[in-house]
Amino acid sequence: MYTGRAYPVDYRRYLKPQTEWGWQVAVYLYLAGIGSGSFAIGLLMEWLGYSPYSLRPMILWGPILVAIGALFLVLKLGIKRRFLNTILNPKTSWLSRGFYILSICIIVGVIIWGISFLPRLGLSVSNLSTLLLVLDITGFIFALATAIYTGILIQSVKYVVFWDTPLLPALFTVSSLSTGAMTVVLSVLGYSILTPSQGYPEQLMNALTITEWILIVIEAFVLGLYLVSRYRAEGYGKDSVRLLLSGNLRFVFWIGIIVLGFLFPIILEGFYSLFHEQRLLLILAGSFLLIGGFFLRFGVVYAGIKEENSLQKLIEYQYNLRALKETQE
Amino acid sequence: MQQKVLFIDHEKCTGCRACELTCSVFHTGASNPSRSRIRVIKWEEIGLYLPLTCQHCEKPFCVEVCPTKACHIDPNQHRILIDKNLCIGCKTCILACPFGSPLFDKVEHITVKCDYCDDDPQCVRFCEVGAIQYLDVAEVSGMKQYTSAEKYTEALKMLQSNQ
Repeated sequence: MYTGRAYPVDYRRYLKPQTEWGWQVAVYLYLAGIGSGSFAIGLLMEWLGYSPYSLRPMILWGPILVAIGALFLVLKLGIKRRFLNTILNPKTSWLSRGFYILSICIIVGVIIWGISFLPRLGLSVSNLSTLLLVLDITGFIFALATAIYTGILIQSVKYVVFWDTPLLPALFTVSSLSTGAMTVVLSVLGYSILTPSQGYPEQLMNALTITEWILIVIEAFVLGLYLVSRYRAEGYGKDSVRLLLSGNLRFVFWIGIIVLGFLFPIILEGFYSLFHEQRLLLILAGSFLLIGGFFLRFGVVYAGIKEENSLQKLIEYQYNLRALKETQE
Repeated sequence: MQQKVLFIDHEKCTGCRACELTCSVFHTGASNPSRSRIRVIKWEEIGLYLPLTCQHCEKPFCVEVCPTKACHIDPNQHRILIDKNLCIGCKTCILACPFGSPLFDKVEHITVKCDYCDDDPQCVRFCEVGAIQYLDVAEVSGMKQYTSAEKYTEALKMLQSNQ
Protein backbone atom coordinates (compact mmCIF):
# COMPACT_ATOMS: atom_id res chain seq x y z
CA MET A 1 0.00 0.00 0.00
CA TYR A 2 1.32 3.41 -0.91
CA THR A 3 1.42 5.82 1.94
CA GLY A 4 1.68 9.40 0.84
CA ARG A 5 3.85 11.91 2.58
CA ALA A 6 1.53 14.08 4.63
CA TYR A 7 3.72 17.12 5.19
CA PRO A 8 6.63 17.24 2.80
CA VAL A 9 9.33 19.70 3.75
CA ASP A 10 11.32 21.34 0.99
CA TYR A 11 14.82 19.88 1.15
CA ARG A 12 16.45 23.10 -0.03
CA ARG A 13 15.42 24.90 3.13
CA TYR A 14 18.10 22.98 5.01
CA LEU A 15 20.84 24.27 2.78
CA LYS A 16 21.33 27.75 4.11
CA PRO A 17 24.82 29.18 4.53
CA GLN A 18 26.00 29.40 8.11
CA THR A 19 25.93 32.92 9.47
CA GLU A 20 27.71 32.64 12.81
CA TRP A 21 31.04 33.47 11.24
CA GLY A 22 30.43 36.11 8.64
CA TRP A 23 32.33 38.20 6.10
CA GLN A 24 34.69 39.67 8.71
CA VAL A 25 36.22 36.24 9.30
CA ALA A 26 36.55 35.74 5.52
CA VAL A 27 38.29 39.13 5.18
CA TYR A 28 40.58 38.28 8.10
CA LEU A 29 41.57 34.94 6.57
CA TYR A 30 42.05 36.58 3.18
CA LEU A 31 44.21 39.50 4.32
CA ALA A 32 46.27 37.33 6.67
CA GLY A 33 46.68 34.86 3.79
CA ILE A 34 47.83 37.27 1.08
CA GLY A 35 49.92 39.29 3.54
CA SER A 36 51.85 36.30 4.82
CA GLY A 37 52.00 34.67 1.37
CA SER A 38 53.45 37.77 -0.28
CA PHE A 39 56.02 38.14 2.50
CA ALA A 40 57.15 34.52 2.18
CA ILE A 41 57.28 34.66 -1.64
CA GLY A 42 59.11 38.01 -1.54
CA LEU A 43 61.80 36.63 0.76
CA LEU A 44 62.07 33.45 -1.29
CA MET A 45 62.60 35.43 -4.49
CA GLU A 46 65.42 37.38 -2.86
CA TRP A 47 67.07 34.24 -1.50
CA LEU A 48 66.91 32.68 -4.95
CA GLY A 49 68.65 35.74 -6.37
CA TYR A 50 65.79 37.09 -8.49
CA SER A 51 65.25 40.24 -6.46
CA PRO A 52 67.83 42.81 -5.28
CA TYR A 53 67.81 44.13 -1.69
CA SER A 54 66.74 47.55 -3.00
CA LEU A 55 63.34 46.15 -4.03
CA ARG A 56 62.50 44.99 -0.47
CA PRO A 57 60.23 47.96 0.37
CA MET A 58 58.10 46.99 -2.63
CA ILE A 59 57.81 43.27 -1.98
CA LEU A 60 57.88 42.84 1.81
CA TRP A 61 54.96 44.99 2.97
CA GLY A 62 52.69 41.96 3.46
CA PRO A 63 52.74 42.08 7.30
CA ILE A 64 50.80 45.37 7.09
CA LEU A 65 47.99 43.43 5.41
CA VAL A 66 48.20 40.75 8.12
CA ALA A 67 47.81 43.49 10.77
CA ILE A 68 44.78 44.98 8.98
CA GLY A 69 43.30 41.48 8.70
CA ALA A 70 43.77 40.89 12.43
CA LEU A 71 41.76 44.05 13.08
CA PHE A 72 38.82 42.47 11.26
CA LEU A 73 38.98 39.48 13.60
CA VAL A 74 38.86 41.77 16.62
CA LEU A 75 35.93 43.61 14.99
CA LYS A 76 34.10 40.32 14.63
CA LEU A 77 34.36 39.50 18.31
CA GLY A 78 31.48 40.43 20.54
CA ILE A 79 33.43 42.39 23.13
CA LYS A 80 36.68 43.92 21.96
CA ARG A 81 38.07 44.79 25.38
CA ARG A 82 37.91 41.11 26.32
CA PHE A 83 40.15 40.18 23.40
CA LEU A 84 42.99 39.87 25.91
CA ASN A 85 41.17 36.83 27.31
CA THR A 86 41.97 34.99 24.10
CA ILE A 87 45.72 35.24 24.49
CA LEU A 88 45.79 33.48 27.84
CA ASN A 89 44.98 29.99 26.57
CA PRO A 90 47.64 29.01 24.03
CA LYS A 91 47.65 25.45 25.34
CA THR A 92 44.13 24.75 24.21
CA SER A 93 42.98 27.41 21.78
CA TRP A 94 44.03 27.99 18.18
CA LEU A 95 42.63 31.51 18.37
CA SER A 96 45.12 32.13 21.17
CA ARG A 97 48.02 30.45 19.36
CA GLY A 98 47.11 32.45 16.28
CA PHE A 99 47.48 35.65 18.24
CA TYR A 100 51.11 34.78 18.98
CA ILE A 101 51.87 33.52 15.47
CA LEU A 102 50.35 36.62 13.84
CA SER A 103 51.98 38.96 16.34
CA ILE A 104 55.46 37.56 15.66
CA CYS A 105 54.80 37.60 11.90
CA ILE A 106 53.63 41.23 12.02
CA ILE A 107 56.35 42.51 14.36
CA VAL A 108 59.26 40.73 12.64
CA GLY A 109 57.82 41.59 9.21
CA VAL A 110 57.44 45.27 10.00
CA ILE A 111 61.00 45.40 11.42
CA ILE A 112 62.39 43.77 8.25
CA TRP A 113 60.33 46.13 6.12
CA GLY A 114 61.46 49.13 8.16
CA ILE A 115 65.14 48.14 7.90
CA SER A 116 64.74 47.80 4.12
CA PHE A 117 64.24 51.59 3.90
CA LEU A 118 67.60 52.33 5.56
CA PRO A 119 69.72 52.13 2.35
CA ARG A 120 67.33 54.65 0.74
CA LEU A 121 68.09 57.01 3.61
CA GLY A 122 71.79 56.63 2.98
CA LEU A 123 72.43 54.25 5.90
CA SER A 124 74.34 51.00 5.41
CA VAL A 125 72.89 47.67 6.52
CA SER A 126 76.00 45.60 5.88
CA ASN A 127 76.78 45.57 9.63
CA LEU A 128 73.39 44.03 10.30
CA SER A 129 73.76 41.04 7.99
CA THR A 130 73.62 38.40 10.76
CA LEU A 131 70.68 40.09 12.46
CA LEU A 132 68.93 40.44 9.11
CA LEU A 133 69.45 36.77 8.32
CA VAL A 134 67.98 35.73 11.68
CA LEU A 135 65.05 38.12 11.18
CA ASP A 136 64.51 36.92 7.60
CA ILE A 137 64.43 33.26 8.61
CA THR A 138 62.13 33.97 11.58
CA GLY A 139 59.88 36.11 9.38
CA PHE A 140 59.73 33.46 6.67
CA ILE A 141 58.85 30.69 9.14
CA PHE A 142 56.14 32.74 10.82
CA ALA A 143 54.76 33.98 7.50
CA LEU A 144 54.32 30.35 6.42
CA ALA A 145 52.89 29.53 9.86
CA THR A 146 50.37 32.37 9.45
CA ALA A 147 49.32 31.06 6.02
CA ILE A 148 48.83 27.55 7.43
CA TYR A 149 47.17 28.90 10.58
CA THR A 150 44.35 30.59 8.62
CA GLY A 151 43.22 27.10 7.63
CA ILE A 152 43.87 25.52 11.02
CA LEU A 153 41.71 28.14 12.77
CA ILE A 154 38.72 27.10 10.69
CA GLN A 155 39.58 23.41 10.96
CA SER A 156 39.73 23.67 14.75
CA VAL A 157 35.93 23.94 14.91
CA LYS A 158 35.98 20.17 14.67
CA TYR A 159 32.26 19.62 14.45
CA VAL A 160 31.69 21.31 11.10
CA VAL A 161 32.40 18.47 8.66
CA PHE A 162 33.19 20.79 5.74
CA TRP A 163 36.09 22.33 7.64
CA ASP A 164 37.35 19.28 9.49
CA THR A 165 40.13 18.15 7.19
CA PRO A 166 43.89 18.82 6.91
CA LEU A 167 43.23 19.60 3.24
CA LEU A 168 41.73 22.94 4.32
CA PRO A 169 44.99 24.33 5.78
CA ALA A 170 46.73 22.95 2.68
CA LEU A 171 44.25 24.73 0.40
CA PHE A 172 44.51 28.01 2.27
CA THR A 173 48.31 27.80 2.33
CA VAL A 174 48.60 27.26 -1.43
CA SER A 175 46.02 29.98 -2.01
CA SER A 176 47.96 32.33 0.30
CA LEU A 177 51.13 31.69 -1.66
CA SER A 178 49.46 32.13 -5.06
CA THR A 179 47.61 35.33 -4.10
CA GLY A 180 50.71 36.49 -2.22
CA ALA A 181 52.88 35.95 -5.32
CA MET A 182 50.37 37.93 -7.34
CA THR A 183 50.41 40.74 -4.77
CA VAL A 184 54.18 40.94 -5.18
CA VAL A 185 53.77 40.93 -8.99
CA LEU A 186 51.27 43.79 -8.87
CA SER A 187 53.33 45.72 -6.34
CA VAL A 188 56.53 45.50 -8.40
CA LEU A 189 54.60 46.24 -11.60
CA GLY A 190 52.98 49.31 -10.03
CA TYR A 191 56.39 50.49 -8.80
CA SER A 192 58.00 50.06 -12.22
CA ILE A 193 55.13 51.94 -13.89
CA LEU A 194 55.33 54.81 -11.37
CA THR A 195 59.13 55.01 -11.50
CA PRO A 196 60.13 54.12 -15.10
CA SER A 197 63.69 55.33 -14.49
CA GLN A 198 64.30 52.35 -12.17
CA GLY A 199 63.72 49.92 -15.05
CA TYR A 200 61.53 46.83 -15.26
CA PRO A 201 62.82 43.83 -13.23
CA GLU A 202 62.23 41.34 -16.05
CA GLN A 203 63.93 38.40 -14.36
CA LEU A 204 61.99 38.79 -11.10
CA MET A 205 58.67 39.22 -12.90
CA ASN A 206 59.24 36.13 -15.04
CA ALA A 207 60.15 34.06 -11.99
CA LEU A 208 57.12 35.37 -10.11
CA THR A 209 54.61 34.80 -12.91
CA ILE A 210 55.84 31.24 -13.48
CA THR A 211 55.77 30.48 -9.74
CA GLU A 212 52.34 32.01 -9.47
CA TRP A 213 51.00 30.06 -12.46
CA ILE A 214 52.27 26.78 -10.99
CA LEU A 215 50.70 27.68 -7.63
CA ILE A 216 47.30 28.34 -9.25
CA VAL A 217 47.37 24.91 -10.88
CA ILE A 218 48.33 23.26 -7.56
CA GLU A 219 45.60 25.26 -5.82
CA ALA A 220 42.99 24.08 -8.34
CA PHE A 221 44.10 20.49 -7.73
CA VAL A 222 43.94 20.87 -3.93
CA LEU A 223 40.52 22.56 -4.19
CA GLY A 224 39.25 19.61 -6.25
CA LEU A 225 40.65 17.12 -3.74
CA TYR A 226 39.17 19.10 -0.87
CA LEU A 227 35.68 19.20 -2.37
CA VAL A 228 35.75 15.50 -3.27
CA SER A 229 36.93 14.54 0.22
CA ARG A 230 34.21 16.65 1.84
CA TYR A 231 31.55 15.24 -0.49
CA ARG A 232 32.53 11.74 0.51
CA ALA A 233 32.82 12.57 4.21
CA GLU A 234 30.16 11.49 6.65
CA GLY A 235 27.58 13.95 7.91
CA TYR A 236 26.93 17.32 6.40
CA GLY A 237 30.06 17.58 4.24
CA LYS A 238 28.05 16.52 1.21
CA ASP A 239 25.45 19.21 1.86
CA SER A 240 28.12 21.87 2.24
CA VAL A 241 29.53 20.92 -1.16
CA ARG A 242 26.02 21.01 -2.63
CA LEU A 243 25.41 24.39 -1.08
CA LEU A 244 28.60 25.66 -2.66
CA LEU A 245 28.21 24.06 -6.08
CA SER A 246 24.48 24.25 -6.68
CA GLY A 247 22.88 25.97 -3.70
CA ASN A 248 22.75 29.57 -2.55
CA LEU A 249 26.52 29.94 -2.90
CA ARG A 250 26.74 28.71 -6.51
CA PHE A 251 27.54 32.17 -7.91
CA VAL A 252 30.28 32.63 -5.32
CA PHE A 253 31.76 29.28 -6.37
CA TRP A 254 31.38 29.27 -10.14
CA ILE A 255 31.89 32.98 -10.85
CA GLY A 256 33.90 34.13 -7.82
CA ILE A 257 36.18 31.15 -7.29
CA ILE A 258 36.33 29.23 -10.57
CA VAL A 259 36.01 31.95 -13.24
CA LEU A 260 37.66 34.90 -11.47
CA GLY A 261 40.05 32.92 -9.30
CA PHE A 262 41.24 30.24 -11.72
CA LEU A 263 40.08 30.52 -15.35
CA PHE A 264 40.68 34.22 -16.01
CA PRO A 265 44.12 34.37 -14.34
CA ILE A 266 45.31 31.20 -16.09
CA ILE A 267 44.08 32.39 -19.50
CA LEU A 268 45.26 35.99 -19.10
CA GLU A 269 48.67 34.90 -17.85
CA GLY A 270 48.90 32.54 -20.81
CA PHE A 271 48.32 35.51 -23.12
CA TYR A 272 50.82 37.58 -21.13
CA SER A 273 53.50 34.97 -21.66
CA LEU A 274 52.98 35.49 -25.42
CA PHE A 275 52.71 39.29 -25.31
CA HIS A 276 55.11 40.46 -22.61
CA GLU A 277 54.69 44.16 -23.42
CA GLN A 278 50.94 44.00 -22.64
CA ARG A 279 51.21 44.57 -18.90
CA LEU A 280 47.52 45.35 -18.65
CA LEU A 281 46.94 41.61 -19.07
CA LEU A 282 49.01 40.95 -15.96
CA ILE A 283 47.21 43.66 -13.99
CA LEU A 284 43.85 42.18 -14.99
CA ALA A 285 44.97 38.61 -14.20
CA GLY A 286 46.28 39.76 -10.82
CA SER A 287 43.12 41.67 -9.93
CA PHE A 288 40.91 38.72 -10.86
CA LEU A 289 43.10 36.30 -8.90
CA LEU A 290 42.99 38.46 -5.79
CA ILE A 291 39.19 38.76 -6.02
CA GLY A 292 38.98 34.98 -6.51
CA GLY A 293 41.17 34.45 -3.44
CA PHE A 294 38.70 36.41 -1.34
CA PHE A 295 35.73 34.46 -2.70
CA LEU A 296 37.52 31.19 -1.89
CA ARG A 297 37.63 32.14 1.81
CA PHE A 298 34.15 33.59 1.65
CA GLY A 299 32.70 30.43 0.09
CA VAL A 300 34.50 28.05 2.45
CA VAL A 301 33.45 30.02 5.54
CA TYR A 302 29.80 30.37 4.54
CA ALA A 303 29.44 26.78 3.29
CA GLY A 304 30.46 25.41 6.70
CA ILE A 305 26.98 24.31 7.68
CA LYS A 306 26.83 22.03 10.65
CA GLU A 307 24.89 18.92 11.43
CA GLU A 308 21.23 19.77 11.79
CA ASN A 309 19.89 19.81 15.32
CA SER A 310 19.49 16.15 16.19
CA LEU A 311 16.33 16.64 18.28
CA GLN A 312 14.72 18.60 15.46
CA LYS A 313 15.75 15.86 13.04
CA LEU A 314 14.24 13.21 15.32
CA ILE A 315 10.90 15.04 15.40
CA GLU A 316 10.95 15.44 11.62
CA TYR A 317 11.52 11.71 11.20
CA GLN A 318 8.86 10.91 13.77
CA TYR A 319 6.23 13.02 12.00
CA ASN A 320 7.31 12.08 8.51
CA LEU A 321 8.42 15.61 7.71
CA ARG A 322 11.60 14.67 5.92
CA ALA A 323 9.97 12.91 3.01
CA LEU A 324 11.31 15.08 0.24
CA LYS A 325 14.78 15.08 1.70
CA GLU A 326 14.89 11.28 1.74
CA THR A 327 13.59 10.95 -1.80
CA GLN A 328 16.11 13.47 -3.07
CA GLU A 329 18.97 11.74 -1.32
CA MET B 1 23.21 15.43 44.93
CA GLN B 2 20.92 13.77 42.41
CA GLN B 3 21.48 15.09 38.92
CA LYS B 4 18.44 16.83 37.47
CA VAL B 5 17.70 17.70 33.87
CA LEU B 6 15.06 19.46 31.83
CA PHE B 7 12.65 16.98 30.33
CA ILE B 8 10.71 18.30 27.36
CA ASP B 9 7.50 16.68 26.16
CA HIS B 10 6.91 18.33 22.79
CA GLU B 11 3.48 16.74 22.47
CA LYS B 12 2.22 18.89 25.33
CA CYS B 13 3.74 22.14 24.05
CA THR B 14 1.22 24.63 22.66
CA GLY B 15 3.80 27.05 21.31
CA CYS B 16 2.79 29.88 23.63
CA ARG B 17 6.46 30.81 24.13
CA ALA B 18 5.91 31.75 27.77
CA CYS B 19 9.16 29.88 28.49
CA GLU B 20 11.10 32.22 26.19
CA LEU B 21 9.60 35.33 27.79
CA THR B 22 10.13 34.10 31.34
CA CYS B 23 13.71 33.11 30.58
CA SER B 24 14.59 36.48 29.06
CA VAL B 25 12.96 38.41 31.92
CA PHE B 26 14.73 36.28 34.53
CA HIS B 27 18.18 36.51 32.95
CA THR B 28 18.18 39.95 31.35
CA GLY B 29 15.31 41.87 32.93
CA ALA B 30 13.93 42.48 29.45
CA SER B 31 10.80 40.93 27.99
CA ASN B 32 12.60 39.96 24.80
CA PRO B 33 12.36 36.36 23.55
CA SER B 34 15.37 36.86 21.28
CA ARG B 35 17.53 37.08 24.42
CA SER B 36 16.10 33.94 25.96
CA ARG B 37 18.15 30.77 26.65
CA ILE B 38 15.38 28.56 25.32
CA ARG B 39 13.97 28.51 21.81
CA VAL B 40 10.68 27.08 20.57
CA ILE B 41 11.06 25.52 17.13
CA LYS B 42 7.77 25.56 15.26
CA TRP B 43 6.10 23.59 12.50
CA GLU B 44 3.08 25.88 12.30
CA GLU B 45 1.40 23.99 9.44
CA ILE B 46 0.84 20.95 11.64
CA GLY B 47 0.74 22.70 15.03
CA LEU B 48 3.91 21.08 16.31
CA TYR B 49 6.26 22.87 18.70
CA LEU B 50 9.55 21.84 20.20
CA PRO B 51 11.15 23.87 23.01
CA LEU B 52 14.91 23.45 22.76
CA THR B 53 17.62 24.38 25.16
CA CYS B 54 21.08 23.24 26.26
CA GLN B 55 21.31 19.49 26.82
CA HIS B 56 24.24 19.85 29.27
CA CYS B 57 26.07 17.03 27.50
CA GLU B 58 28.47 14.72 29.29
CA LYS B 59 31.16 15.46 26.70
CA PRO B 60 30.30 19.02 25.72
CA PHE B 61 31.63 20.19 22.36
CA CYS B 62 31.17 23.83 23.39
CA VAL B 63 33.58 23.42 26.31
CA GLU B 64 36.09 21.69 24.08
CA VAL B 65 36.24 24.45 21.47
CA CYS B 66 35.85 27.55 23.66
CA PRO B 67 39.04 29.60 23.15
CA THR B 68 38.88 31.41 26.50
CA LYS B 69 37.47 28.56 28.60
CA ALA B 70 34.48 30.76 29.40
CA CYS B 71 32.36 27.72 28.63
CA HIS B 72 33.00 25.28 31.46
CA ILE B 73 31.55 22.37 33.37
CA ASP B 74 30.09 23.05 36.81
CA PRO B 75 30.83 19.71 38.51
CA ASN B 76 28.55 20.34 41.50
CA GLN B 77 25.37 20.63 39.54
CA HIS B 78 26.28 18.67 36.38
CA ARG B 79 25.70 21.65 34.15
CA ILE B 80 27.60 23.60 31.53
CA LEU B 81 27.99 27.29 32.24
CA ILE B 82 29.35 30.29 30.36
CA ASP B 83 31.35 32.82 32.36
CA LYS B 84 30.11 36.20 31.13
CA ASN B 85 33.36 37.88 32.08
CA LEU B 86 35.47 35.54 29.99
CA CYS B 87 33.26 35.13 26.91
CA ILE B 88 34.53 37.11 23.91
CA GLY B 89 31.51 36.37 21.73
CA CYS B 90 33.45 34.49 19.04
CA LYS B 91 30.50 32.07 18.51
CA THR B 92 32.78 29.03 18.14
CA CYS B 93 30.63 27.16 20.69
CA ILE B 94 27.50 27.89 18.63
CA LEU B 95 29.18 26.42 15.55
CA ALA B 96 30.25 23.33 17.47
CA CYS B 97 27.01 22.54 19.32
CA PRO B 98 24.87 19.84 17.65
CA PHE B 99 21.72 20.99 19.48
CA GLY B 100 21.51 24.61 18.29
CA SER B 101 22.45 25.94 21.69
CA PRO B 102 24.21 28.18 23.03
CA LEU B 103 22.61 31.33 21.67
CA PHE B 104 24.07 34.74 20.93
CA ASP B 105 22.82 37.72 22.92
CA LYS B 106 23.07 40.65 20.53
CA VAL B 107 22.61 43.21 23.28
CA GLU B 108 25.42 41.99 25.52
CA HIS B 109 27.49 40.64 22.60
CA ILE B 110 28.16 37.35 24.35
CA THR B 111 27.04 33.77 24.02
CA VAL B 112 24.45 32.66 26.54
CA LYS B 113 22.94 29.33 27.51
CA CYS B 114 20.64 27.63 29.98
CA ASP B 115 22.04 27.42 33.52
CA TYR B 116 18.92 25.82 35.08
CA CYS B 117 18.31 29.23 36.76
CA ASP B 118 20.38 28.04 39.72
CA ASP B 119 18.34 24.90 40.26
CA ASP B 120 14.96 26.58 39.84
CA PRO B 121 14.23 26.71 36.09
CA GLN B 122 11.79 29.51 35.41
CA CYS B 123 10.57 27.96 32.15
CA VAL B 124 9.35 24.97 34.18
CA ARG B 125 7.54 27.19 36.66
CA PHE B 126 5.72 29.12 33.97
CA CYS B 127 4.92 26.28 31.55
CA GLU B 128 1.22 25.89 32.27
CA VAL B 129 0.78 22.69 30.26
CA GLY B 130 3.78 20.98 31.84
CA ALA B 131 5.66 20.48 28.59
CA ILE B 132 8.92 21.32 30.36
CA GLN B 133 9.74 19.52 33.59
CA TYR B 134 12.79 19.49 35.83
CA LEU B 135 13.31 15.87 36.81
CA ASP B 136 15.91 13.48 38.16
CA VAL B 137 17.98 11.80 35.50
CA ALA B 138 16.91 8.35 36.69
CA GLU B 139 13.26 9.29 36.37
CA VAL B 140 13.73 10.68 32.84
CA SER B 141 15.67 7.60 31.84
CA GLY B 142 12.89 5.36 33.15
CA MET B 143 10.24 7.34 31.29
CA LYS B 144 12.19 7.10 28.06
CA GLN B 145 12.61 3.35 28.46
CA TYR B 146 8.89 3.00 29.13
CA THR B 147 8.01 5.05 26.04
CA SER B 148 10.41 3.02 23.89
CA ALA B 149 8.93 -0.23 25.20
CA GLU B 150 5.42 1.03 24.43
CA LYS B 151 6.40 1.96 20.89
CA TYR B 152 8.11 -1.39 20.38
CA THR B 153 5.01 -3.25 21.56
CA GLU B 154 2.84 -1.15 19.27
CA ALA B 155 5.11 -1.88 16.32
CA LEU B 156 5.06 -5.60 17.08
CA LYS B 157 1.25 -5.61 17.22
CA MET B 158 1.08 -3.80 13.87
CA LEU B 159 3.41 -6.34 12.34
CA GLN B 160 1.36 -9.25 13.68
CA SER B 161 -1.91 -7.75 12.45
CA ASN B 162 -0.40 -7.24 8.97
CA GLN B 163 0.69 -10.89 8.85
